[in-house]
Amino acid sequence: MTQHVSPQDLGIDPDPLLSVTGVGRFYGERIGCADVSFDLWPGEVLGIVGESGSGKSTLLRCLAGIDAPDAGEVLFRGSGQPLDIYSVAEQDRRRLMRTAWGIVHQNPRDGLRMDVSAGGNVGERLMDRGDRHYGKIRERALDWLTRVEIAENRIDDRPRQFSGGMQQRLQIARVLVSEPKLVFMDEPTGGLDVSVQARLLDLLRVLVRDLGLAAIIVTHDLAVARLLTDRLMVMKDGRVVEQGLTDQVLDDPHHAYTQLLTSAVLSV
Amino acid sequence: MTTMIHVENVAKTFTLHNQGGVRLPVFDNVNFSVEAGEALVLAGASGAGKSSLLRILYGNYRPSSGHIHITHAGRAIDIVAAVPRTVLDIRRRTLGFVSQFLRVIPRVSALDIVRDPLLARGVSPDEASERAKAILARLNLPERLWHLAPATFSGGEQQRVNIARSFVDPAPILLIDEPTASLDAANRDVVVDLIGEARANGSAIVGIFHDEAVRERVATRYLDITAFRKAA
Repeated sequence: MTQHVSPQDLGIDPDPLLSVTGVGRFYGERIGCADVSFDLWPGEVLGIVGESGSGKSTLLRCLAGIDAPDAGEVLFRGSGQPLDIYSVAEQDRRRLMRTAWGIVHQNPRDGLRMDVSAGGNVGERLMDRGDRHYGKIRERALDWLTRVEIAENRIDDRPRQFSGGMQQRLQIARVLVSEPKLVFMDEPTGGLDVSVQARLLDLLRVLVRDLGLAAIIVTHDLAVARLLTDRLMVMKDGRVVEQGLTDQVLDDPHHAYTQLLTSAVLSV
Repeated sequence: MTTMIHVENVAKTFTLHNQGGVRLPVFDNVNFSVEAGEALVLAGASGAGKSSLLRILYGNYRPSSGHIHITHAGRAIDIVAAVPRTVLDIRRRTLGFVSQFLRVIPRVSALDIVRDPLLARGVSPDEASERAKAILARLNLPERLWHLAPATFSGGEQQRVNIARSFVDPAPILLIDEPTASLDAANRDVVVDLIGEARANGSAIVGIFHDEAVRERVATRYLDITAFRKAA
């Protein structure tokens, strides 16, 4: 009997999109995150869970090119050769972040231009990418507003006239319009009402599946992790204490801390 | 005959770290195989570990030791050692889990829930819709419910949506946990027929059925897992 079959043998994707090795970030003596290593393949959605202060947001910032880690490397394989994102020039990293990556912030204000119209917020990313035809940019912006369920007649309104849930959907449209390969999300449903969360979650679930996106989602909400992610990493005190398929980690947790987390919720 | 599942020396012990590190041994030295076209029914008293074993076969619970070889895309793959995306590929194409509970997703209609596995396997949207409607009708789910999200459905209605989703395109291996628990006699008969048809088409089936009449109509073979009980 054959026992060791690699995913390649089954015809599933050749190379990881992102390879993370030994990433750590320290604040003096204190550990932000340490010894984090994993690979992420195209189309995979990875969740990072843990309570406040576990280092999950620190890690996300290192992975997303926002804060340089003090140790380790982050390799991105967009097209062709893998790129060590912290050894390339600042401007190359910024270009990568604008074109191949997307970041959805917990607070939509951090990801939107509040004094620019909704259509402008979405269109701007296309112009960053080099699109110049005004009619086409507006058409695509309109298409994306519809996909995130924002009415067409709101295209010229500014985000500050939107509710929190609408702002978050607008931010998602702004990120996804440029067709990134990899999206980072920090507590994407944090601070929203439960009913608004449900709508946003379903929207994210469908978009991620239809676009075949790879995504890394930081959340403290295990139900969000269950619905959106394929794999899970559990963090405590800056370190990954357990990882695996999402349903394995949630249904048969092995680490004491994961058992505590999963038993603390009513039902996920 | 094609061996679809081969279980080799599987053991499972739960360790509850937050309850004084209590160790709960479930079973030890589990060995068996299931061929295509067979329906193996797990027997044993409540608490013997039938559901745990089914979840281990699905790659949901992780055994403490041993191997589960699943025949997938013409090869035997150890689902215990496989990386996450291999496990997901096995589940997408080869391994189905039928539980009595539907995991409701906000805003997704019953029809879309049932269509979903067909779309994931590359069936055209039109054909997927037709087949989904046919099986929902066969399970007597009123047509007015098809386009609604099942959050507000009764337990029995949700269960039928779940069964429809599992049997709209039966996987080569079906793991079934109490599918008829809250169904009336007519719908129970439909489920028994669906299982029989899947088996006739070559699916390998492992199941848990409390209802004795259902069990006897479905089973081609029994496995009493009490025999694997670990000496505590």
